[in-house]
Amino acid sequence: MLEQILSVSFLTALLSAAVRLAVPLMYGGLGETIAEKSGILNIGMEGVMLSGAFFSFVGAWYSGNLFIGLLFGILGGVAVSSLHALLTIRFAKDQSVSGLALNMLMLGVTSFLYKIMSSGKSYQQVKTFSSIKIPLLSQIPFIGEAFFNRDILTYLLYVLVVMVLIFYKKTNIGLSVTAVGENPRAAASAGVPVHKYQWISMIFNGALGGIGGSCLVLVQLGVFTENMISGRGYIALATVILGRYTPFGMFGAALLFGAANALQIRLQTTGVPISPYLLAILPYAITLVAMLGAIGKNSQPESLSKPYIKGAR
Amino acid sequence: MILQAKQKQTIIDAFLIFSITAIIGTVLILACGANPLEAYGLLFRGIFGSSSSFAEIFVKACPLILTGLGCAVAFRTGFFNIGAEGQFYIGAIASTVISLNVTGLPGWIRIFLSLAAGFVCGGLWALIAAVLKAKFNISEIIVTIMLNYIAINFLGYSVRSFLMDPSGNVPQSAKIEPGSQLMILIRSTRFHAGIIIAVICVLLVWFLMEKTSIGYELKAVGLNRHAAACNGISVIKNIILSAFLSGGLAALAGGIEVLAIQKKLLEGISSNCGYTAVLIALVAANSPIGVLAAAVLYAAMQVGANSMQRQMGIPSSIVNIIIGVVVVLILGKEIFGFLGTKRKLTVMEEEK
Repeated sequence: MLEQILSVSFLTALLSAAVRLAVPLMYGGLGETIAEKSGILNIGMEGVMLSGAFFSFVGAWYSGNLFIGLLFGILGGVAVSSLHALLTIRFAKDQSVSGLALNMLMLGVTSFLYKIMSSGKSYQQVKTFSSIKIPLLSQIPFIGEAFFNRDILTYLLYVLVVMVLIFYKKTNIGLSVTAVGENPRAAASAGVPVHKYQWISMIFNGALGGIGGSCLVLVQLGVFTENMISGRGYIALATVILGRYTPFGMFGAALLFGAANALQIRLQTTGVPISPYLLAILPYAITLVAMLGAIGKNSQPESLSKPYIKGAR
Repeated sequence: MILQAKQKQTIIDAFLIFSITAIIGTVLILACGANPLEAYGLLFRGIFGSSSSFAEIFVKACPLILTGLGCAVAFRTGFFNIGAEGQFYIGAIASTVISLNVTGLPGWIRIFLSLAAGFVCGGLWALIAAVLKAKFNISEIIVTIMLNYIAINFLGYSVRSFLMDPSGNVPQSAKIEPGSQLMILIRSTRFHAGIIIAVICVLLVWFLMEKTSIGYELKAVGLNRHAAACNGISVIKNIILSAFLSGGLAALAGGIEVLAIQKKLLEGISSNCGYTAVLIALVAANSPIGVLAAAVLYAAMQVGANSMQRQMGIPSSIVNIIIGVVVVLILGKEIFGFLGTKRKLTVMEEEK
């Protein structure tokens, strides 16, 4: 039994499944990293991703074109994150409250619209993005198959993670945005347009979360189901904290969660005599333990979830 | 003078929020191709049509009152407990275990013991997040959400293993003995004694928060943690206390649901009330009496919407949309700014 688990083919398949499960989380996590860097906590990521998933399905279903679906998914995500931005930046409201309300709202809206859309029709499915093998890289044993024989959205993610890292580390604007998240008053007195940067960050938050939701529909399942994000938005929030607010840290944390989930699913199919329900606890328990491991190295932006009001002390 | 203007503004806001919500509801019903008048008539009849459907409102409201109350207590102390869902399930499991295994005692003692066990276990479950928050400053939002998934899966495991009904192979527990069920108070309805417990809890929590020094300390920590600490109020102690109460109340809801409604433990019994509770608490501005009112209103909408769904095919998810819209409007009521210039002044004052 242990031999079965430690075999190369098992581990390769496991890693591949881990990446597949992690990609939507990584999009959500990357969007959330960007938002939190600018001091805005978006607990509504669940709603953003759900909106992205639903509207990408709508776009792809009615147009028959996956890229139009993706565009709709992005717009769906941006619509939700803009509403969050309006409430939390323009009106300086409690960010946790706003995010939770948006999650509930989007759960209702997407379920409602989907019911109307699908009434009387049979099972609906759209095509999905096919995988593209990258020559040479996909030949690398073990990781090649998992990372370099994937769909276009996964490759886009790799590029985005690197770009976001460079943006925050190497550009002036990136440093200014980081300053906004740390101390908006100081940033403002240095001439940084605080609210403008927060708005732009939230647009990216919505776009990336929207793609994350679209991944589930346009890459993995080809269908929309009610409440299909089922907590991935919240997991994405956890990956940001685990990854200590860096893109690569988040990448690793999401991969860890994906691996725990993949392991849980694989163990069930190999017939391990443990209840599948106990195994399903594994990814969440691992996330909790990993958060304990991150204690003491506080890298949270100083002004996270504190509204910035011009002129107020 | 300022107070009067503020009150006037509040009434105008409430009226606007109600109107906008009603308009959105009408548009949604139209979008389903149904006649709004007919639908509202059905909603009304669904609620007031018979004594059993009217009683059903309170049956549906009961878990929402308790979980909402739990959230309100936690939010007042600045502990953002999103874990009512998980605490509800832990309470349901613990109550079932005690109710099925403690025998040979009078019924009411067994009811008391099983609900008390649920309360304590739910409180301890919430305490995990509170300790992590108070000691290590780990976001309680994330931890309580993780704990929800753990609790839900643990329930799935328990009804398939140690709690599984030995006489069947359905994933549910054995039936609670009639003697230790919470009794029905109004015949031919489902109006049960648990609803009275929920209302008593509302009054107790109101008394605790408004009339005692414990409540004062809890609120002080929620308002300004540093100021509270400077005045000798222990932040850690109060966060832990409020989390325990909060988890316990949510767990009580779970225990009552098992002993009064389902009469056994099975999956999905919370019907997501733990997440709805968060919004109920927010709509009620974390006031215990407000939670009672908001929960009953929400339950009435749910009962009415269910009858709309049955008879006219209007998806009952309309209720989720409505409550989401209400909270968004409460947060964004400055959007109504075009109605007067007074608004800006009050905002500035609040900020100071």
